[in-house]
This record gives sequence, C-alpha cells and structure tokens, in this order.
Amino acid sequence: MSRHASGLMAWLMQRATAVYLALAALYLLWFVSVDPPADHAALVAWISQPLVRLGVLLAVSLLVAHSWVGVRNVLMDYIHPLWLRLALLLLGGGLVLASGLWLMWVVMVAGV
Amino acid sequence: MNIRVYRYNPDTDSRPRMQDYVVSTAQGMMLRDALLAIKAQDESFSFRHSCGEGVCGSDAVNANGRNVLACITPISELRTPIIVRPLPGRPVIRDLVVDLTQFYEQYRAVKPYLIRHDPLPEQEIPQTPAERDQLDGLYECILCACCSTACPSFWWNPDKFHGPAALLQAWRFLADSRDQATEARLNALEGPYKLFRCHSIMNCVEVCPKDLNPTRAIGQIKALMLEQGL
Repeated sequence: MSRHASGLMAWLMQRATAVYLALAALYLLWFVSVDPPADHAALVAWISQPLVRLGVLLAVSLLVAHSWVGVRNVLMDYIHPLWLRLALLLLGGGLVLASGLWLMWVVMVAGV
Repeated sequence: MNIRVYRYNPDTDSRPRMQDYVVSTAQGMMLRDALLAIKAQDESFSFRHSCGEGVCGSDAVNANGRNVLACITPISELRTPIIVRPLPGRPVIRDLVVDLTQFYEQYRAVKPYLIRHDPLPEQEIPQTPAERDQLDGLYECILCACCSTACPSFWWNPDKFHGPAALLQAWRFLADSRDQATEARLNALEGPYKLFRCHSIMNCVEVCPKDLNPTRAIGQIKALMLEQGL
C-alpha cells in the first residue's frame, strides 16, 4: 500500500488530468476559432450555461492538480538545496492554488 | 583526419582543455582505432577499451555530442573534426575515463539477479518459449552507460534516480517468470525519485548502441505498479 506514495499517484494524476485537459483545450480552440463570442456579454452567456460552467470548473481544478505536479517535478529535478526547494515549492504551490481559486471564482460568478 | 579530444588530469591540470590531433585514416576504421592512434602519438592520453567489438561496453565516449561505443562507430559516419569528450555528467578521472561508481550503485540497487522464495529445484527452472520471449530486448544490455549518462534526469539526480540502464534491468527481473520478488521489487521503486524522475525524454533509446528501449521498460514497470497497486 505504501506504493501509493508520491511517485505513482503524482504520475497517474498528471497523466489522467492531461487527458481531460487535452480534450478541453481542443474544445476551447474549436470554440474560439469556429464560433467565437461577439462580445463580453456573449462570452458570459456562453459560460453561464450549466454544462459549460461545470466543464470549465472541472478543467480549472484539474489544471491546478496538473500544474502542481509539473511545478513539483521541475523543482525536484533542478533545485537541490532543501531550504530553496521548500521556499519555491511553497511559492509555486501558492501561485498555482491562488490562480486556480481566482479562476474558479471568476467562472462561478460570471453572469450571476 | 582531424580529431579533437578532451584532456584533463585533475592532479595536474587546473582546468580541462581540448587537444587537436591528426590521425591517418584507413578503410573501415572505427573511432576506437583513431583513439588508439592518438595513444600511439601521445601516451599520456587515456581512455578505456577492451573487446573492440561492442560486447564489453568499456569504450563509451561522447563523439560529436552523442554517446557512442567507440569500437563500433565508423569514423566515416562522423563529421570532422571529430570532437570526443567523456560521457556527460560523470566525474572525470582522467581524459575520457569517467567515474561510473554511482551508475553501478544504481544498478546494484535494483537487485539484478533472480530472487526465489521456493526451494531451488534440482535442475533448471523451465520457462515456456513465450515466457523466455519476455526477456528479449532486456538481457542484452552491456552496461556501457551510454543511456544513463545521456539522461537529463540522471544528470540532475544521479544519487536518487536509478537511471535508464538500472531500470531496464529492474524490468528484466520483474518480467522474468522465474523471479518471485515482484512485490518487493515494486515496493523498492516507490517514491518520487528512483523510477518517477523519468519524464520519457527518450535520450536513452536514441543512444543505446544495442537498440534497446529503456523508456518502454520503464513504462511497463509503471503499468505493472498500476495493475498491482490500484
């Protein structure tokens, strides 16, 4: 059971979230290239649809998980002094989390 | 033919330097022959070599930026001047001779031998042809270190990441039907470093002189972990 530790789970989380994020990115690309919203009101109307809002919220939360594993990987690879790595992990994790929360808030209050 | 080699003696030199030599070529000449010709001109030049036919794995060097076995690399395939450096990322003992202690420690760490819990039979342990086929592409490794020293993850964490050569051998014994230590082997690979510093960069596959595929073996270890762990 101890095998579930940071290695396998982090790798699995990155791979699994990547699948949804890739599909979401393709959809967003299609959306902005084929049928782009005319103005801000149209964008808000689009994101206010329950399914779109749910899908985007899910994408943002998965993006937070995906980026956290990525940031952690980069820092584990390159930053070896413990204090510097800890500081950068806190900074990176904080930035990822804060951006994610802000983005989720924006999506949730759009059109409400 | 011009050839430029890395020279460094840590005991006497303050810093490494590149030294140019001119070597006369011959039909079918390999890089090892060129290095031997340099050695004949300048006996202070050092490099490792032994069998001369790509079996022992002693003469891995970095030629024109790529890790190769000097004895099976024709000089006709290399752009001149050929620039020969030691394997990247390893401490230099002298000239092209590097210290591979960490590489061997990582190899030792994966317990590269059969582990049986059942009493050993009187005779050999039989395998079906299909079971034996699982070992093809794994057992052929000659531990030349071309792959691990081409791996950025091994450059950054050679003390913690096993590296492609050791992980290929980890899978070689996980895949062996006669081995009985699957659980212990997988447990030993847990954590973020030993296995999971591999980011599928695939430099190992690119440089392997035996055309082996450590990245695929690493993927198979991860798949087995998932299968047994979830």
